[in-house]
Amino acid sequence: MTPALTLKGVVKRFGRRRALDGLDLVVPQGSVFGLVGSNGAGKTTALAVSAGLLHPAAGEIDVLGLGPFRAETHGGRITLLPQDSRFPPHGRIDDLLAYYGHLQGVPADRLSADIDKLLEWVHLTDRRRSPVRTLSHGMNRRLSIAQAFLGTPELVLLDEPLNGLDPRESARVRDLIRERRGRQTIVISSHNLGDLEALCDAVAFIELGRLVRQDTLDDIIQRSHRITYVLAAPTVMTVLSEAVPEVVWQISSDGLELTASYAAPWTPGTLNAKVLPVLLRSGAGVLEVRRGSDLETEYFSLTPPLPPPPGAVG
Amino acid sequence: MMPPPVRTLWAIARHELTDSVRSRRVIVLILLYVAGSMAATLLFITVLQKIEHQLAESLGVQAAAGTGTVTATLWKSPAFRHMLTELTGNRELAETLLDIPPLGLFFGWLSFAFTPALVMLTSTSRIAEELWSGSARFVLFRSSRLQWCLGKFAGQAIQILGALLLSAVGAWLVGLLRMKSFEPAATAWAMTLFAGRAWVYSLAFLGLALAVSQWCAAPNLALALGFLAMIALAVVAGVAEHFAGEGWRRAWDVVLALTPGGHKTDLWWGDAAHLLPACVFLVCLALAYFAAGYARFSRRDV
Repeated sequence: MTPALTLKGVVKRFGRRRALDGLDLVVPQGSVFGLVGSNGAGKTTALAVSAGLLHPAAGEIDVLGLGPFRAETHGGRITLLPQDSRFPPHGRIDDLLAYYGHLQGVPADRLSADIDKLLEWVHLTDRRRSPVRTLSHGMNRRLSIAQAFLGTPELVLLDEPLNGLDPRESARVRDLIRERRGRQTIVISSHNLGDLEALCDAVAFIELGRLVRQDTLDDIIQRSHRITYVLAAPTVMTVLSEAVPEVVWQISSDGLELTASYAAPWTPGTLNAKVLPVLLRSGAGVLEVRRGSDLETEYFSLTPPLPPPPGAVG
Repeated sequence: MMPPPVRTLWAIARHELTDSVRSRRVIVLILLYVAGSMAATLLFITVLQKIEHQLAESLGVQAAAGTGTVTATLWKSPAFRHMLTELTGNRELAETLLDIPPLGLFFGWLSFAFTPALVMLTSTSRIAEELWSGSARFVLFRSSRLQWCLGKFAGQAIQILGALLLSAVGAWLVGLLRMKSFEPAATAWAMTLFAGRAWVYSLAFLGLALAVSQWCAAPNLALALGFLAMIALAVVAGVAEHFAGEGWRRAWDVVLALTPGGHKTDLWWGDAAHLLPACVFLVCLALAYFAAGYARFSRRDV
């Protein structure tokens, strides 16, 4: 299957600074894809270059298998939630969405129903006729999300979609994205790794405009190869090693977290069936069993911290 | 999925028009323009009232009581006809102008003089504002950059036509209420024609305004640069007109033709032989200025 978005060696310069320095990225169709990276890593630039808002200095971009973005071929099939952009302040919400829908080519008989549904989704139905300038920051953000899903585009690029949303609205937007999984390709750039972990099928780590690693979320957090047991009291490792000799164990410094790294033919089920009875018999007291690692740990392990600012002490 | 280009263009133009009208700044500017044109018409009538007695006396025509009565008589007098021929340097043009009611002629002058400034005030920041606020980023993956800019051009052009027609209505009403020898139908027709000609003339300035707006992403800077460009064009037109002549000095005619001012005189004529080339040239100038801006905009990051 053709990837929804491919970037090969893309370079984008702002003056002398290279925002993208040969970025490679392959976003599978129908996936929810996360972009992770520090501030200035190039996530926003990568999305803007893909949507044709920024012109790359070098490299190849292929959007939906139709080459680089061109409004004539991609218009209506790709949408973007830009990070720091404001809507025209004088227009009314439904007029603005209708305008965007017209430009996208959403059929007139479907447009009104689409707008109703989206406004309901982002809890703005009661503000339908309000001018945009009267909306709060969070409402503006919800409107930005609504416009990105207008007309069911094939590729949706979301730059920090959950920024500025309250917990309830964040949860609603997460549900919205989950609901679209498989039907649309959704690329999310976010600093909130917990959200990405909850939403994404695949993730790419970007630093200094380059790809550090891209893989499925399962592989990155080793969901199928690692289990961590959090214990109430330390246990004797020799008993465990004898019970499951093929498994490699790591113990935290206080001895309360045991991490098992395993390979086939072990599965989480078979491993737990062997390990848990041993732990319970030893009186360690199992407080928690965690499958895999987490995105934050893997991100920190894969990306070196930025150098200290010039003149910093220590 | 993309709708046909003309439909997209129309959707952008319609949105541009409503968004521009909804912004209080543009409404205030248009109202000020209409009020200004009404006030200028009133002033014209008042001054006319004061000077027509002296003119009647010096040219030896019959004096009357109401404002404009003498002017109407004066308009038809051989002495005034001769004076206007001297002023325009063309007997035919003078005859054409003498067929137009005085208030219609004044409205034409007013529109040619002040519409370019209105265009600069209302249109120079339109694209720059959207680049500045980032709202263009919600649109430019939905339509092509060219469609978006052309749609904005069309929306602004409709807005200017509206402002010109409104100011014509205002000036006509002032004439109706304050001038005794007012010819309602003839003046209305003349004003409508001049509103149309001033609109075509202002299209060149609209092209210039949107070119500046495409170059510059800061609205206030765009406004300042727009006015500078307008003044520069007026200076170039003046210099070219002054130095144009025979031989190598014909080159100044080419320079003059590249400015809107170079075609203004032709817009005063009533025949298609003068009007049509001027209109075509002005529309071409509008597109050329616009294209110069678009050359940068098509390659810029937004």
